[in-house]
Amino acid sequence: MTHVVIAQFSEADALLEAARESQREGTNVLDAFTPFPVEGMAELLGATSTRLRVVMAIGGFSMAAVAFGLQYYSAVIDYPINSGGRPLNSWPTFMLVPFATGILAAAIFGFIALLSETGLPRLHHALFEIPDFERASQDRFLLALEAPEAKKEIAALRQRLIEAGAIEVMEVAA
Amino acid sequence: MTGRLNRWVMPRARNYDAVNAMVTAPLLARETFRWRIWWIAFAVSCALTLLMAASLFWVLYKGIGIFGNNTTVVWGFPIANYVWWIGIGNAGTLISSMLLLTHQRWRASINRFAEAMTLFAASIAGIFPIIHLGRPLYFYWVTPYPNTMHLWPQWRSALIWDFWAILSYILFSIIFWYIGLVPDLATIRDRARGPIKRAIYGAFALGWRGSARHWHFYETYHMAMAALAVPLVVSLHSVVGLDFAASLMPGWQETIFPPYFVVGAMYSGFAMVVVLAAGVRWGFGMQAIVTIDHFDVMAKIMLAASLIMGLSYATEWFAAWYGGEHADRSLVVYMFTGTYAPMMWALLACNVFIPQLFWWRAIRRNIKAVCVIGVLINVGMWLERILIIWNTLSHGFLPSMRRSFVPTFWDWSLLLGSLGFFAFMFLLFVRLVPAVSMHEVRKLVHDEVTA
Amino acid sequence: MSPVNDLNRRAALKLLGGGLALSLTSCGKPAEEIVPYVDQPERVVPGVPLRFATTLDLSGYGRGAIVTSVEGRPIKIEGNPRHPASLGATDVFAEADVLGLYDPDRSKAVRGKANVESWEAFADALRAQMDKERARGGAGLRVVSGRVTSPTLARQRAGLLKEFPQARWISYEPVADTNEREGARLAFGRPLVALPRLKDASAVVAFDSDFLGPGPAQIVNARGFAQARSAASGAEQFLRLYAIESSTTATGANADHRLTSRPELIGNAVIAIAAYLAGETPPPLAGHAARFVEAAAADLKARQGRALVLVGPSQPPEIHALAHWINSALSAPVDLIEPVDDIDPNGLTSLAADIHSGAAETLIILDANPAYDTPPRLDLAAAIHKLPFSAHLSLHRNETAALCHWHLPLSHTLESWSDRRAIDGTASIVQPLIRPLYDTRTAHDVLAMLGGALTPSSYDIVRTTWAAQGGGDFENWWRKTLHDGVIAGTRSAPVATKPQRITVAARTPTQTMVLKVAPDPSVWDGRYANNAWLQECPKPLSKEVWGNSIVLAPADAGHLDCKDGDIAEIEVGGQRVQGPARIDYGQADGVIAISLGYGRSRAGAIGNEIGFNVYPLRTAGNPWLIDNVMLRKAGPARPVPTTQHHFQIEGEVDELLPLVSLVELAKGLDRKPFKDEPKPTFYPPYVYDTYAWAMVVDTAACIGCNACVVACQAENNVAVVGPEEIEAGRDMHWLRVDTYESGPGAMRGFQPVPCMQCEHAPCEPVCPVSASVHDSEGLNVQVYNRCVGTRFCQSNCPYKVRRFNWYGYNDGQEYKNLGAPSVTAQHNPNVTVRTRGVMEKCTYCVQRISAARRDAEKENRTIADGEVVTACQSACPTRAISFGNRNDPKAAVNKKRGETHHYELLGHLGTRPRTTYLARLTSPNTALKEGGE
Repeated sequence: MTHVVIAQFSEADALLEAARESQREGTNVLDAFTPFPVEGMAELLGATSTRLRVVMAIGGFSMAAVAFGLQYYSAVIDYPINSGGRPLNSWPTFMLVPFATGILAAAIFGFIALLSETGLPRLHHALFEIPDFERASQDRFLLALEAPEAKKEIAALRQRLIEAGAIEVMEVAA
Repeated sequence: MTGRLNRWVMPRARNYDAVNAMVTAPLLARETFRWRIWWIAFAVSCALTLLMAASLFWVLYKGIGIFGNNTTVVWGFPIANYVWWIGIGNAGTLISSMLLLTHQRWRASINRFAEAMTLFAASIAGIFPIIHLGRPLYFYWVTPYPNTMHLWPQWRSALIWDFWAILSYILFSIIFWYIGLVPDLATIRDRARGPIKRAIYGAFALGWRGSARHWHFYETYHMAMAALAVPLVVSLHSVVGLDFAASLMPGWQETIFPPYFVVGAMYSGFAMVVVLAAGVRWGFGMQAIVTIDHFDVMAKIMLAASLIMGLSYATEWFAAWYGGEHADRSLVVYMFTGTYAPMMWALLACNVFIPQLFWWRAIRRNIKAVCVIGVLINVGMWLERILIIWNTLSHGFLPSMRRSFVPTFWDWSLLLGSLGFFAFMFLLFVRLVPAVSMHEVRKLVHDEVTA
Repeated sequence: MSPVNDLNRRAALKLLGGGLALSLTSCGKPAEEIVPYVDQPERVVPGVPLRFATTLDLSGYGRGAIVTSVEGRPIKIEGNPRHPASLGATDVFAEADVLGLYDPDRSKAVRGKANVESWEAFADALRAQMDKERARGGAGLRVVSGRVTSPTLARQRAGLLKEFPQARWISYEPVADTNEREGARLAFGRPLVALPRLKDASAVVAFDSDFLGPGPAQIVNARGFAQARSAASGAEQFLRLYAIESSTTATGANADHRLTSRPELIGNAVIAIAAYLAGETPPPLAGHAARFVEAAAADLKARQGRALVLVGPSQPPEIHALAHWINSALSAPVDLIEPVDDIDPNGLTSLAADIHSGAAETLIILDANPAYDTPPRLDLAAAIHKLPFSAHLSLHRNETAALCHWHLPLSHTLESWSDRRAIDGTASIVQPLIRPLYDTRTAHDVLAMLGGALTPSSYDIVRTTWAAQGGGDFENWWRKTLHDGVIAGTRSAPVATKPQRITVAARTPTQTMVLKVAPDPSVWDGRYANNAWLQECPKPLSKEVWGNSIVLAPADAGHLDCKDGDIAEIEVGGQRVQGPARIDYGQADGVIAISLGYGRSRAGAIGNEIGFNVYPLRTAGNPWLIDNVMLRKAGPARPVPTTQHHFQIEGEVDELLPLVSLVELAKGLDRKPFKDEPKPTFYPPYVYDTYAWAMVVDTAACIGCNACVVACQAENNVAVVGPEEIEAGRDMHWLRVDTYESGPGAMRGFQPVPCMQCEHAPCEPVCPVSASVHDSEGLNVQVYNRCVGTRFCQSNCPYKVRRFNWYGYNDGQEYKNLGAPSVTAQHNPNVTVRTRGVMEKCTYCVQRISAARRDAEKENRTIADGEVVTACQSACPTRAISFGNRNDPKAAVNKKRGETHHYELLGHLGTRPRTTYLARLTSPNTALKEGGE
């Protein structure tokens, strides 16, 4: 069975430093849990996907297209009506609704994408069992590493983390 | 930026837990405050909210004849209130998106309640276009839905654009605001003692655990939203400007309207934010994270806006004179000599002249002064909205139909009531939701202290 | 209190019940056979309106009318082209008479001193009283009535006086023409009546004479005036009008040259004209007046045979006499006829004396209201009160009814059989459109009852009068007469007689304040006070509604430092009245002008306590000009509600309401707005290939009489909003008549403004729900049931012609009693009654267009030119409005649109209006300053 080592830091920079070093040492950095986004951490974990933005773009533009289509259909095809001698297809004035609704659609699509990417909402998670984990949302920076097989390597890792500034290092079964 | 080190966070708040404690105290450590003033304020706001409810009932029962509108001046308070509130409803998003994109880190400590203000103001604004209708029950006819008349909305009408712009804006703002809130809700979940609070805040926190991967997507989305918010908010108030600009009445048919409506919106929005900021700061002792420098920088923004407003007014008058249309010229004369001339001068004083005091650093850094001027600016902006309507409609093309507007009790009661309702919602907000974005301030603390 | 009367559910149900009951009884045809104007009554088709000819009454004189009746309900009155006093047109009073029929305040039952009685009860009481009178030859019997022109009534009167030789019949009119009659007597030895033929005139001088103002002759005069001022007739023929007047009148407003002057100086001007014509030296006049009169006299001389002078009722008899001489010297186009009635100017005085002395005992009042409209010095009210027997026949239980033992409900003209003579003597039959709504009777019935009849029938009485007609074939004659609406050959023949010139000494100007009284353009002498349409009809010049005011010259107002609307008090011989002041620049210094007919205490829910009553100020002498008036300021401003607040137009006049002199017209007009080339547009043109409706309004012909305004209201179910709403700046008239002064002295202009039906309508693209849209014939239509009431359309309308239902003016929140079922019975079933919260507007009477279209399609042809006549168009006395299909090259509108002085209102905005205008025309005398005095 694999173990996970959780190191607790009081500062973001220490956490980032420790993470970088562990990776250099060949330890597999699993994740970090921090009270605010730590610049560089995501890259280090290789989480750099921008799929979310693509989804937003697609959602937004298709909504805008639908909105314009609806206006065109209703004003030109389904119920053409002379309004103040304006042309039936008054396309310049038909631009504003697609614009607003497009942006709204992008936001909604993005939100859904965000949830699916993060797997939220997930009200309970094993991590919450870890002592002090609640401080990850307040003032502690937790680093999760894959614990090596050999006992003495774990000791070495713990040593390295302490040197890197970890306040506490613990092993948990995953 | 070593020179301006630590100016956004005072020493008292220079560690994460201090920030958390300070921000969550109104929610989790109520005993730290004496709530007497809050209760008084809340009682007053409740009374005014009831006044608004009564006014709404009466207008629906009696008909909109209870307002001061007449055959010539067919628009009045409701439209002005709508434009004014929606203007205030712009600033929050502007602050949290524009400043985010421009990396103004100081926004961290004010954007949360600024966005809340946006939500409340925008929703209140949404009420007025509906109740100003002759037949409010049929307001939904502006939406495209299958109906027995086989009719569609008339897409060329600026009111339709309004409808979609507001709807999109409100929904968008809710999402934007909520997303910003999620990590803080997690913080509260983790600090809360009682199981109920845990459960409720926990549920809204969606089980956020601050994973670095999540933070990555979170930030990507947040940035994208900010990038979208700016054009949306600009378009929103441009459309409101088009309500007037897309007509052919003198004083309305002006290309300058959309941009200067946007600036005006930002202007009144910031004016409202400084007042709320001062309130929150003083009420919950957040001097450490809502600093004098915040007021200073916001005052500077207002100063800039006041100059732009003054320029816009001048441009209007010049265009009227230069265009040479008799109707336009006589309208400008009417503005300064006609029925509403005193209000016009008051407008110029509030929006253009008084804010010039912000040239003095001492004034910018005197919170009381900034608040007073902020209130005056909002009065001035309201006057601008109502005068745009009154002047043009009262002084149209045909002298035979020139009439003035005389407000009734119900015009005032609804305006006052809406203010009370706004206060009502804001007071509830500061008691139930972290008024300051903790994770962003924590980041700010980190950057400030260890940068 | 709230501006609209709230009906609680109980009251609403009561009214509803009443409505059901009423609708069962009201919609029946009269018992006797009446003859429809076009169709046979037996061919009554539900939904197809019938039109009948009848005659309406104004101060005793008849005006012919064609009344439209739907399912037995008269709903609209129009002019009868065959009738000489109507000429197919109407005036405001004629238009509004139909509302009077349905007035909920009408008296519905016979009333004794205490309570409701029956006609039988009255008959018994009357019989007893008449037996008493018969015994002494009617020595105690007095009958009071208004002017009697009805041949039938005259016949009955003769009969009565034969039966009761000692009895007296007193007929009087508050709007008296005693000065005219006396003047004629001085000039001719008998009270002849002069009828000007304005259409043959080319120079007219009016001395305080408002011949274009309200009255039985208004339509005739206005038509002649307009005909004589058509652009076609050259500068020689074109009627040039000089007006010398002491207060602004419609006549002065339409004059090429106007001079304000004190009444006595106006008299001197007449004397001067006479002197000029006789080649004598005229009495000295003030500098400007001298020039004015000299120029006028020269003009009159130059246009011998086509020139005439008119003198107003306020001038003393000798001036009238002199005017007769002037006219005959000019061989003016004037007809002299024997008066169609005889009014004894001293009748009331002797009546009062008789009652006080006890000589009079039995008083029958036929549709007159002496308690309100006679001078208090006669003390008639008290007199009537102490009479042993008095009966009062009237439409309302008014001030006089309150004093009499018996009140008898009178049938409305539209419910009665009778007859009338027009000003020129032409007689015509009054035939009922509907069976009396209540248990009412006519004056003929009551007179018959005096003679002892039990169940009189005015139908038979009227037929008896004319029985001799038709040369044996009476029935055919009767049918034809009813059908035509006039009785052929009854017009009085002009008498040829020469007046003698009487010498009149010029009067020296006095400095005392004088009060000039005039009948009101809205409520006439007070008899229309309870008519909501008329109360809310803006007065032609002041645009005041729901009240009258004390009109002052700026100087006089200045002395008192009295501002517009301030309450002023005037006192004459101990009698005082208070009212809001109005400053008028056309008012002569030292002259106060007030109109009659207000301050009614028992007119009804609509008319009570509106304005103030000036009858108390009338003295024994001149009824129209009261001397030695004291004026003082009495209180803070309480102005009369008005629908227009700004009359001076700074420089805009040339674009909005241009004035063109014949000289300029001949040269051709190359200035705005005439040379306003259409603005370029991005929009593709819409083709109107069926009909393209268009209207041209000739502002040169408009005299501002408001007939079109009330006609539109009657035709289109336009609601009355009441004084409070008017004060709040809200009104409902679809058609308004704007009036502008382009500076003091300059010619006043009138501009009827209906919807412009713009092809590029600014109101349409701004409507979010397509309630305001264009139809295939170019009408800008309003879809009431789609409107949600954003009012964006009105705020974007440069002409501000749209009207909004701020309350349910016709939808449960009516003013006062206007929600009563009897009132709603007048509504035109072809026009939607608008609900609260919707926008409404002029539709070019689209219901009339579609009616014409239906007829045309039945006969599969196209609608002919002139087949669609809008309500405003048909009402107009001067025919200033023309309407038709622009796609029809021969259409009248196209001829008008081709005129040089044709222009679009605000055309430079690119709205492409379908309603367009012809400019005002003037032919100023070059001897005097251009345009105006």
